[in-house]
Amino acid sequence: MKAAAKAAVLFLAVAFVAALAACATTDPPESEMAAARAMVAQARPVAQAAAPTELATAEGTLARAETALQRGHYEHARLLAEEAEADARLAWTTAEAARLQGTLQSERSGR
Amino acid sequence: MNTPWKFTVLAAALAAGCAAVSPAANERLEQARASYRSAAEDPQVQRYAAPELQNAANALKEAERLAKEGAYSELVEHNAYLAERRARTALRTAQARQAEAELVAAREERRRAQAQAREREAAAARAQAQQAERERQQAEARVKLVEEESARQQLQKAAAAQLAADVNRLESEAAGVRARQTERGWVLTVGDALLFERGTMFQPGAEHTLDELAQFLKKHPQRNVSIEGFTDASGQKEANERLSERRAEAVKFALVQRGVEPHRIEARGYGASFPVSSSDSESGRQLNRRVEIVINPS
Repeated sequence: MKAAAKAAVLFLAVAFVAALAACATTDPPESEMAAARAMVAQARPVAQAAAPTELATAEGTLARAETALQRGHYEHARLLAEEAEADARLAWTTAEAARLQGTLQSERSGR
Repeated sequence: MNTPWKFTVLAAALAAGCAAVSPAANERLEQARASYRSAAEDPQVQRYAAPELQNAANALKEAERLAKEGAYSELVEHNAYLAERRARTALRTAQARQAEAELVAAREERRRAQAQAREREAAAARAQAQQAERERQQAEARVKLVEEESARQQLQKAAAAQLAADVNRLESEAAGVRARQTERGWVLTVGDALLFERGTMFQPGAEHTLDELAQFLKKHPQRNVSIEGFTDASGQKEANERLSERRAEAVKFALVQRGVEPHRIEARGYGASFPVSSSDSESGRQLNRRVEIVINPS
């Protein structure tokens, strides 16, 4: 019984560490960060005027991802990077839609 | 042997401890479902942004799966957020692509209209050029007609002058031939006394006159002549008419003998009709006995 209890304690310790490890990632999310930065950079020039709210959200999320990355919270940084990319994509698409609709309107009104 | 089972329960409890689905995650999930639904129901999204909608669907499915399995709230929230962003992105993408498609169509329509306008202008210019060319040709034709008419008149004038000159020459060359201009043209009158001995027998002196007449007619081949015989009023009417006709025919025959084409000459006798002088005196009667050669204007 004593050996079994020892083994149980040992297992508990191992399981706890493993569970903590499961909540964190091992490597920095380089490709996710790169994709987020690139998408924000792409959105910035067009979305500044046409989709400022969406762009601000994307910039904010990217900043939080950068902070998490610096602090070594890699898993958190990965999720935020993915969200920042989705935000930036929405900002860019919103700006593009506005631009094309504007162009269409001026084309129809006979420029 | 129930110890490993106890450990398993313990480990599962530990794992579940950091993964209860929070109310915030549920709210996010609800937002994601609503956004996805409104995007998926939009026919323009189905038409223009199917891949983007699929991306949203994948994230939503992942969020639903994680929530069902009781994974970390953070993960559920993350996927729900991605699904919501992607659903809205799909909507914007559809708007952008629809605008783009309409823009392409509108530009094509404008190009087509411009091409039509250019074509119309070109056709109008062609029609104008054709009209101008027609007018130029008509003006040219009018000028030509005027020139031809004037040339014709000149020729006619020259021919008339030539004829008059030749008639005058004939009058002076052939004794007893008198010429006068009438509305029927030139009329040459030769007294019978200078032509005929008696009946239709020519005087020897008539030869020269007939030669001159024939020469004159051959010089003006385009002019036909009428030879008209006249007598005085003495004697019977029928006999006079016959005599005047035979004398006219005799002159024609003499001219044909001298080389004038017969079809150019018409011979007729009028008897004592159309006297040129009184029948009371012999000199008047002598003037009435005559042959007239009417030169038809060509």
